[in-house]
Amino acid sequence: MAGTGKAHLRNTEDTVLSVEDLVVEFSLSKKTAVQAVSGISFDLVQGETLSIVGESGCGKSTLGKAILSLLPATSGSVIFGGRDMTKLDKEAVRNLRPQMQMIFQDPISSLDPRYTVKQLVAEPLEIWSRGNAEEQASKVEELLDSVGIDPAIAGDRKAYEFSGGQCQRISIARSLALEPKLLICDEPVSALDVSIQAQILNLLQDMKERYGLTMVFISHDLSVVKAVSTRILVMYLGKICEIATPDSLYDSPKHHYTHALVGSVPIPDPTKKVAQVILEGEPPSPVDPPSGCRFRTRCPAATELCAAEEPQLRDVGGGNYVACHHPRS
Amino acid sequence: MKFKQLGFFSKASVIWLGIVMFMVIFGQWIPLPKPTNFDIDAMGVGLFDSLKHPLGTDANGYDLLSNVILGARPSMLISLVSVGIGGFIGSALGIIAAYKRGKLDYIVNTLFNIVLSVPALVLGLALVAVLATNPDPNIEVPTSRRVIVIILSLTIVIIPILGRIARGATLSWSNREFVVAARSMGMKDSQIIMKHIVPNVLPAIYAVAFLAIGVVIVVEGSLSLLGVGIVDGVSWGSMIARVRGDLEYAPHSMVVPVVVLALTVIACNQLGDVLRSQLDSREGRL
Amino acid sequence: MSSLLSLSNLRITFDTPRGELAAVRGVDLEILAGESLGVVGESGSGKTVLSRASMGLLTMSSAHRSGTVVFDGQDLSAASRDTVRNTWGTGMAMIFQDPMTALNPVRRIGSQLTEGLRVRLDMSKKDAKKRAIELLQLVRIPDPETALRKFPNQLSGGMRQRVMIAIALACNPKLLFADEPTTALDVTVQAQILQLLSDLRKELNMSMVLVTHDLGVVAGHTDKIAVMYAGEVVEYAETKELFANVRMPYTEALLNSIPRLDQKSSGRMAVIEGRLPDPTQPEPGCAFASRCPYVQEKCRTEHPELQKANNGHQFRCHFPLGASR
Repeated sequence: MAGTGKAHLRNTEDTVLSVEDLVVEFSLSKKTAVQAVSGISFDLVQGETLSIVGESGCGKSTLGKAILSLLPATSGSVIFGGRDMTKLDKEAVRNLRPQMQMIFQDPISSLDPRYTVKQLVAEPLEIWSRGNAEEQASKVEELLDSVGIDPAIAGDRKAYEFSGGQCQRISIARSLALEPKLLICDEPVSALDVSIQAQILNLLQDMKERYGLTMVFISHDLSVVKAVSTRILVMYLGKICEIATPDSLYDSPKHHYTHALVGSVPIPDPTKKVAQVILEGEPPSPVDPPSGCRFRTRCPAATELCAAEEPQLRDVGGGNYVACHHPRS
Repeated sequence: MKFKQLGFFSKASVIWLGIVMFMVIFGQWIPLPKPTNFDIDAMGVGLFDSLKHPLGTDANGYDLLSNVILGARPSMLISLVSVGIGGFIGSALGIIAAYKRGKLDYIVNTLFNIVLSVPALVLGLALVAVLATNPDPNIEVPTSRRVIVIILSLTIVIIPILGRIARGATLSWSNREFVVAARSMGMKDSQIIMKHIVPNVLPAIYAVAFLAIGVVIVVEGSLSLLGVGIVDGVSWGSMIARVRGDLEYAPHSMVVPVVVLALTVIACNQLGDVLRSQLDSREGRL
Repeated sequence: MSSLLSLSNLRITFDTPRGELAAVRGVDLEILAGESLGVVGESGSGKTVLSRASMGLLTMSSAHRSGTVVFDGQDLSAASRDTVRNTWGTGMAMIFQDPMTALNPVRRIGSQLTEGLRVRLDMSKKDAKKRAIELLQLVRIPDPETALRKFPNQLSGGMRQRVMIAIALACNPKLLFADEPTTALDVTVQAQILQLLSDLRKELNMSMVLVTHDLGVVAGHTDKIAVMYAGEVVEYAETKELFANVRMPYTEALLNSIPRLDQKSSGRMAVIEGRLPDPTQPEPGCAFASRCPYVQEKCRTEHPELQKANNGHQFRCHFPLGASR
């Protein structure tokens, strides 16, 4: 599965974000470099939640940071608000930041332990001078209320006094202070207990509706992703395997990697068969990826064509796209 | 951390340092015999032997108590100023280099390593010899010039010491997600450093700064012992230097300054240690 | 089948600066030979402390234990440290969540594998090496000869976990504790490792205690399940029975709040309100009372005992769900 190609780009008026042929490369030494993201393209329409799914080393976190220009892009374009962020200077990028915010994986580490909750949530407002002190204070209270934190009780306490779930709520409140258009969530519930995950996912859903957000949801957990997505993008070793709607992705995955991924998730029901698919072997090294389709070394349907030619994303109906020479039916 | 919560040694250290600071600030107004009062009648008075000279006198009749009290100022001044200025410059360099990374970090780190490779005493000796000595031994170099050169050399020594602490702490803190979060909010680098990096890195720095003060006091004393300190002035180091030859005649004249010096260094070390362990436990919690 | 491990009224508390922390509050459990038990719980449930205490690994001075632990007929709770230590490796073994910190990063794999063999089974260097290669083959590591000379950081997460399993199984233990063995691994690797554990268990006729927070993992790989909450077992039954007839509201709520792959996506998920219990502030009555959707007055004041239904299904609830409601 090497997934390049832009057959799946829609280019409508509603497009909030459009990423084309994005490559993010890190140099390990003078001679070797590794491409964490190898030519990814996708777009986001207003009000959508696009989930980016993959296992460790697939490049999804790097992709998330590159979209926000927190990491430099080696090539390709990230078009937001009609402008290509990769071509803008530092100050111009900075001015776009209020419109695109991020939630991080480790809720406690994403809050500075030296400041109180109120100070943390007010910080974005201060940086961009949104309103006077009074207006800022009341906005902070409103935000904390909307995420289920009582500002009177919690407002003057420090972040480390709270649990993971509460810290994530505070992070969400902070990221909404500037009323962004785009919210990128990088594994927002992975570090939380199972019974708390549902609370935070529902909260994100509520905030999305309330503020009219468009979201990118990065996760390794397919079950979580299924519940929140409009579309799902599956990544493997820096490339796209498949883009599909949640139901069709799970009911009939077209790509062999997606099939293995879906089949590996343990179902909490003893009457259902355990792990229908066991994927053999280990992922190849991203420093020296296989030629042609990167998944071919572990794919049960690999042929010579797969080694010779990198598959492009193509339409398989229903708004779904696959990058595979021999997709499953 | 409140005073009451400290252990016994820490409380004693705070009290002792309080006494020293009192000597530094108010010493000149305490009615004492002049420290360099050559008094033939009072030569070699023993410890606690006379009310006029509570700590005794040395071979020249100099009152030891007044030497201690008035000597506090130069010694502490030199160490506080050099650690203060050196710490400030070093921390600023270390924090900015570690935050920005890349070439700047490489250059600063190499500079630090170069300065660190030169022993403090050798540097001090070299600078004093070049900048604060007149080839004609008959012409006296003003003490103030000596002091400034000593402070300069010690500052240079301290810069990389505290600079490395600052750099290490910054490297670990700037990887925390709240720094990435701050960038994603649109904070400028300078704002991030001032608001998020510095407050978190500061405790590590001043914990080591305390230890550095102790070290510098001893270095100043060593320089005096070697003859390049404030030999003719009044300071703890020069007290020790001056009575070197009189150990047989008036041993207590060496013991007194050494004990005072040692107590001060121990007190600084103790407080530095306490600050550091407080820092470790707080970091552990986070 | 005979009882291999039996815990009676096990209580474990820790002294902390914030007060006494009751990690395990009176647990009775029995594991039979050749059986696989899943222990399910979230933070503060006490599941990890339980497994460590059963093996006798809680040696810090701040830990206090009461109750009995009987392994293979021997009362370990009253035995000397040496007796307990002798059960490690040959009697009980444990694999941990993070293979990187469980393996010594500065020693080669081969040396870590053969250590137990030479110390516990008194094998010669040659025999131990042979056995080490056998073990690596058992856990399906390709090219075992080369692997012996590698360091942990040269292997992937899945490989390291296999090595840890190999080390644990080196002396043929009767009981294996697997403490969140796949939580840190990717889902495809998780499937491989769980399959491996199941196969090995059958091959070696070993009992296993699988400690996890993932109900999906226990559904497919255990014979019985114990659900823990706030340091107590709140439900215990055969796996199929537990999922078919949930009796304790916490278990039901947990099952409902987990996003499911096999169900149609709906957008909103069922939620358990409230927070996880604070182990330093035990509540009177039922620990789940503040979050239970079916809570009644009695639940807040009276602590429920573990009841047993005819088919062996145990639950700790005044008003259990299902037939008797």
